[in-house]
Amino acid sequence: MPHDEVYEAMSDAFDGGAPVALATVAQTLGSTPRKTGAKMLVREDGSFVGTIGGGCGEAEVWQEAMDALDDGEARMVTVDLTEPVDGEDKICGGIMRIFVERLES
Amino acid sequence: MADSADSAEIARALLTAAREGPAVASCTVMGATAGVEVSLGAKMLVYEDRTLGGIGGGPLEAGVAEFGRGALPKHLVQTCAFSPDGNLIEGRRAIEAADAIVEILVEVVEPASTLLVVGGGHVGLAVGQLGAMLGMEVAIIDDREEYASPERFPYEAQVICGDFAEELERFPITANTYIVLVSRGHKVDELALRTVAERGAGYVGMIGSKRRTRTVLQHLAEAGVDRDELDRVFTPIGLDIGAETPEEIAVSVLGEIILVRRGGGAQPMSEHGRFLASQRR
Repeated sequence: MPHDEVYEAMSDAFDGGAPVALATVAQTLGSTPRKTGAKMLVREDGSFVGTIGGGCGEAEVWQEAMDALDDGEARMVTVDLTEPVDGEDKICGGIMRIFVERLES
Repeated sequence: MADSADSAEIARALLTAAREGPAVASCTVMGATAGVEVSLGAKMLVYEDRTLGGIGGGPLEAGVAEFGRGALPKHLVQTCAFSPDGNLIEGRRAIEAADAIVEILVEVVEPASTLLVVGGGHVGLAVGQLGAMLGMEVAIIDDREEYASPERFPYEAQVICGDFAEELERFPITANTYIVLVSRGHKVDELALRTVAERGAGYVGMIGSKRRTRTVLQHLAEAGVDRDELDRVFTPIGLDIGAETPEEIAVSVLGEIILVRRGGGAQPMSEHGRFLASQRR
């Protein structure tokens, strides 16, 4: 279903003339927190809207989004959640490929 | 190239598609095997009748555009593999065996779908609530003030009080509109169905027993309503999960709507003990 918040935030950013980085889950394998199409939008100040799965790899994707805002290059980020369970964040057990791109109005 | 458009124009078009429609299939190049010349991140928006932007032209672009157009009615969100000459490659084995592939994220971007609930009674109340939870834009129509008062619905909904036929005729219906007929009686449902049956909604479902609903369809067929359209009506409504209460019926109805929208088998995912049975052999 739709990603109203994300598009709303994109619109607001564009109104202010600012670019955004959009991270979209492109592919999932195994058990992952969100499925294909899930989105997170990252603004230049590092704030973000939407989620591609909370703690599970989101920080990595956020960093890539900040880099994409910087260099304008689209990129694919692979987040591996299959590492052994050790009481930390990554309990999901799947692999997500996330496409990160810069968009501007 | 189908069209030259800068990324700003594409971004604005995506925004328009998400807010107002019409739906667009956003096709983005996400990767390719070594040696295939593509531009990572290149994007083409495929509308029913045109395209915006491009992914490098040639047969790849043509093939993806055709696939994107077919993705629109399915609300598809999927990463697909194409050969460099634009043919879809399906299945893991075929993808692994292919010499060269281009990976494209095909994502239909469109406004929230509309759930139009005809009848504000107990079932309508619950159906609307679940629809709102699923992110649909909910509208509820009833001609009785006490069943069509905004206070009755503790969730975001457009509540319409008025004559069923008049209000339904005025209500915009598209392929992204899902209509649930759960009014106080089959006479009203029949009237409502007559008004909406031929207007291209994504889903029309009507509550009632097998016998009642068959009578309604029979009446409308005799009245000249298109038989193919009547055949597409989901009635009796809902998935067979033994639902009894209004809330359970709502789950059954929205389950059916998700099934229509996304496709699926409508069976338990589990193998019912078959796994353990196979281990014993």
